[in-house]
Amino acid sequence: MSEPVRTNEASAATDPWIQRLVGDPDVRDSALEELRLFLLRGLTKSMASRYGGGYSAEDVVQEALVKIMNSLDQFAGRSRFTTWAMTVATRMGISEMRRKHYEDVSIEAFKTEGATFEVASEETSASDGLDRRWMVTKLQSLIEDSLSEKQRFAVRATLEGLPVEVIAEKTGANRNAIYKLVHDARTKLRSGLESAGISADELSIAFA
Amino acid sequence: MKLSKVQTKTLLEIVASAKPDEIDCDGCFEHLAEFVEHELMGIQIPDALRKIQRHIDQCPCCSDEHQALLEGLRTLEG
Repeated sequence: MSEPVRTNEASAATDPWIQRLVGDPDVRDSALEELRLFLLRGLTKSMASRYGGGYSAEDVVQEALVKIMNSLDQFAGRSRFTTWAMTVATRMGISEMRRKHYEDVSIEAFKTEGATFEVASEETSASDGLDRRWMVTKLQSLIEDSLSEKQRFAVRATLEGLPVEVIAEKTGANRNAIYKLVHDARTKLRSGLESAGISADELSIAFA
Repeated sequence: MKLSKVQTKTLLEIVASAKPDEIDCDGCFEHLAEFVEHELMGIQIPDALRKIQRHIDQCPCCSDEHQALLEGLRTLEG
C-alpha cells in the first residue's frame, strides 16, 4: 500500500469514487458494479474463514452497497474510499452473523430485577504480600453499592461472553449505550478500588 | 450468579485497564479505516489514532471487526 490518503472533508466530496457514485446513471452503475466486485472479493475470504458456509457474502455486499450509497456524506476522506467502504461492509457482515449466532440466546436471566453477581473468592496470597481475598471483598461491595442495576446487567452479560452489539439488540438499546454502561462501571469500580488504596498495578500483579 | 475464576480475572483486568477518556464503538468505527491503512503499511500509528487501539483492546466486537477488515484488505492487496 502507498501512503494513506490525507484529505479533509471538503476534498472528500471530490474523491473520484464519490464523483462517480453521484454521477450520471451509467457512470454510477459502472462504479457500483466495480465496488460490488471489490467488496465481494474482500469479504468472501474474511467472512468464510470465520463463519464457513453459513454466510452469503453476496447478500451482505448488496446490503452494504445500499448503506454506503446512503452514507456517502459520512466519508470524510481520511482514508481511501475503498478502505472506508470495506469497513462499512465488514461491520455489516459481522453484525449479521452475530445476530444469527446469538438468535436463540436469552438474556432474561441477566435482567432479573435487582440481579447482581458474585465474584469468585480467592485465597490469601502470603508470598506477594497482597491480600487478594480482601481485594475481592472490596470489589464485591463496590459492585453492589456503586453500580446501577443497568451497569451490573451490562457487565454481567459481557462477562458471559455476549457481544455488546447482541446485548444492545436484545434490550432495544444501541451498541454505544451498552459500551458506555460497561465503561462507566469499569471506571467506577477502578475509582472505588483506588479510593480503598488498591491501585490498578496492584490488581494486575495480584491476579496475574 | 457466581462468576467463575476466569470471569473474575477478566473483570479485574477490564477494571484495571479502565480509562476515563476511552472512545466508544462509533468513535472507533469513524477512524478505523484510517487506522488500518497505517497498520497495513507498517507505519507508526499517530497519537491521534492510538485511542482506536485502546478501544479495540477493550471491545471484542470492534476487535473482531478490525481483524476481519485487516484480513479482507490483505486479500485485496494480495
